[in-house]
Amino acid sequence: MSTTPQAVALGDRALPPAPERRRLTPEEHRALARRRRLRRELTGWAFLGPMFVFFVTFLVVPVLGVFWWSTRSGSLTIGSEPVGLANFRRMPHQVDALTAIRNTVQFTLMSVPLTLALALGVALLLARVTRGGAVYRFLIYFPALVPGVIAGLIWVFLTNVDFGLFNTVLKAVGQDPVTWLGTKSALKVVAALDVWRSTGYWSIFFLAAVIGLPRVLYQAAELDGASGFQRFRLLTLPLMRRIILFAVVVGTIFGLQVFDTVLILTNGGPGTATQTIVLRIWNYVFSADKVGYGAAISVVLLLAILCLTLAQLRLLRSRRGED
Amino acid sequence: MANRPAASAAVLAAAEQDRARGARRAASERWLTHLALAVACVLSAAPFFYVIAASLKDKGSLFQYPPVWFQWPPYLGNYQRLLFETGFPRWMLNSLFVATTVTAIKLLLDSMAGYALAKLDFTGKRVIFLLMLILLMVPFAAILIPLWSIAHQLHITNTYLALILPPLANPFGVFLMRQFILGLPKDLENAARLEGVSEFGIYWRIVLPLVKPGLVVLAVIIFTDQLVSFVWPLIATTDDNLLLMTVGVASMRAKGGTNYGLWSAAAIMSLVPVVIFFLALQRQFMARSTSGALNQ
Repeated sequence: MSTTPQAVALGDRALPPAPERRRLTPEEHRALARRRRLRRELTGWAFLGPMFVFFVTFLVVPVLGVFWWSTRSGSLTIGSEPVGLANFRRMPHQVDALTAIRNTVQFTLMSVPLTLALALGVALLLARVTRGGAVYRFLIYFPALVPGVIAGLIWVFLTNVDFGLFNTVLKAVGQDPVTWLGTKSALKVVAALDVWRSTGYWSIFFLAAVIGLPRVLYQAAELDGASGFQRFRLLTLPLMRRIILFAVVVGTIFGLQVFDTVLILTNGGPGTATQTIVLRIWNYVFSADKVGYGAAISVVLLLAILCLTLAQLRLLRSRRGED
Repeated sequence: MANRPAASAAVLAAAEQDRARGARRAASERWLTHLALAVACVLSAAPFFYVIAASLKDKGSLFQYPPVWFQWPPYLGNYQRLLFETGFPRWMLNSLFVATTVTAIKLLLDSMAGYALAKLDFTGKRVIFLLMLILLMVPFAAILIPLWSIAHQLHITNTYLALILPPLANPFGVFLMRQFILGLPKDLENAARLEGVSEFGIYWRIVLPLVKPGLVVLAVIIFTDQLVSFVWPLIATTDDNLLLMTVGVASMRAKGGTNYGLWSAAAIMSLVPVVIFFLALQRQFMARSTSGALNQ
C-alpha cells in the first residue's frame, strides 16, 4: 500500500494513470514485507500494551510470586531466607491450616448446593410471572449487591442473642432463644449468610437460561401427559446441565474465598470454628516470621482455583462446540 | 378442531370442561407462584428493614423487651454520630473516587486490549489470550503476599495508587470487550481502512461508538465490583484518610464494643449509593448476571 505514490481516492471511480513502476528487487521486497510485519506487530502491541503492563505487574508476577514466597521463611518487610519445601512439609502437622481448609470446604459444601438449588427454584418461578416481575427481581437480587462487610454487619443484627431478629421471632412463637454464633452453629450461620447473599445473583443468572429454553419441548411433554416434576427432571435439568455445572464451578471458586463476611460476623471464632483459608492468609501477611507459611496456604488456594478455572473453561468450550 | 365435522357435541362439551379445569388450575398455580415469590422477597428483604429499624432506635429501645419494632419518633442520633464523628463521609468519598477512576481507566485499557485481541494480528496473541483466560478467576485473596511486596517496592502502599492500579490487571473486561467487538460487522472498519483511517481512528471513531452497550455493561460491573472490594484495600492502606468504605466500616466493627446503633447506621448509609445506581441502571445490572457465561 505504502509504495503507491498517490493514494487512490475511493470517491472517483476513474483510477489515475498507473505510475511508472520498476520491479522490486528481492531484497527490497523482503525489506518491505519486514516493515509491514513490524508495523502490524507494533500496532497490535500498542493496543494491548497498556493493559498488559498492569496484567503482568499485578497478576502474572504475583501469581509466580506466591510460589516463590512459599519456599521462604521470614517477613515481608524485614527479610526472608529460602527454606525449600519446609512450609509445605509442615502443613499437615499444623492444626490451624488444616482447620481453615476443612472449614472452608465445609462452608462451600453447605452454601453452594443450597444456593444453587434455591436459585434455580426462584428462577423457574420468576420465569412464570409476567406481572410484578421487576419488583420481585429487584428485591430478590438486591442482597447480591451488598458488600460482604455490610452483609456481615447486617447479620450481626439478625444473630444477636438479645435483640437479634432470629431470636425475636423465636421468642414470639414461644421457643427458647438460640446462641447462633456458638461453636456448633457458627459455620452454618456463615453459610446461611452466603445463601442469603448469593441466591439472588444466581436466580437472575438462571432466569436468562430458563427463558431461553425451547417452549416446543414443554408443549410436547404436556401433550404426552408429563407431570410438572417429570418435565423438570427430564427436560429442564438436562437442558440446563451445562449452565448449572458452570454455576457450581464458579460458585465453588467464590466459596473458597469466603472472608469478609466471616471477618465481620465471627472473626474466625468462637475459637477456630469459622477460621477460613483467606482469614489465615490475611493473618500471616504482616506476621514477623510466617510469611512463607502464609504463601504456602495461598498456593493451596491458588491451585484449587486454577483447577476449577480449567474445568470452567472446558465447560464453556464444549458448549460452544455443540451449538 | 372446531371445523371437523366428526367432533360430536359430547366431545366438544368434554373438551370445554377440560379447558375450564385447566384454566382454574392455571389460576391457582399463578397464585401459588406469586405466593412463593413473595415469601422469597420477604426473606431477601426483611434483614434490611430490621437493620433500618435498629438504626432509628436509641440504646434503650434497642435492647428493650418485649421488643419495639419501630421507635416513634425515630432517633436520628446514630446517623448524626456516623456523619459527624467518624471518618465515614471520607471513606465513602474515597470509595466513589477510586471506583470511578478505576472504571474510567479500565474502560479505555480493556476496550483497547479487546480490540487488539479481536481485530489485530500479532505475535504472541494466542498465548496471551490463553494466559488471561487461565488467570481470569485468580482473586486478590490468593496473591496478597507477593502483591503487597510488589506494591511496597513500587512505593505505592498507603497511596491512592495502591487502590487504583492493581485492579487494572483483571482480564475479565478484555474478554467482554473482545466478545462485543468480534460481533461487529467487518464492512465498516474495512471501508475506513481503505479510506486511510489509522488503526487508532478506527478504534476510537468506529468501534467504540458501536460497542457502547458493552461499555455500559462493563462499567456497571467494574464499578460495583470496586464498591464491594475489600481484601486488597484492607492490606494496602492503613492511613485513616485512605480507607475505603468497606474497610472503614470493618475497622469500626473491629474496634469492638457494642456500638450497635453506629454499626446499623453505617450499614444502611453505605447501601445508599448502591441503591441509587441499581435503580438508575437496573437493566444493566441484570445483564451483569448473565454476561459471565451466556455471551461467551
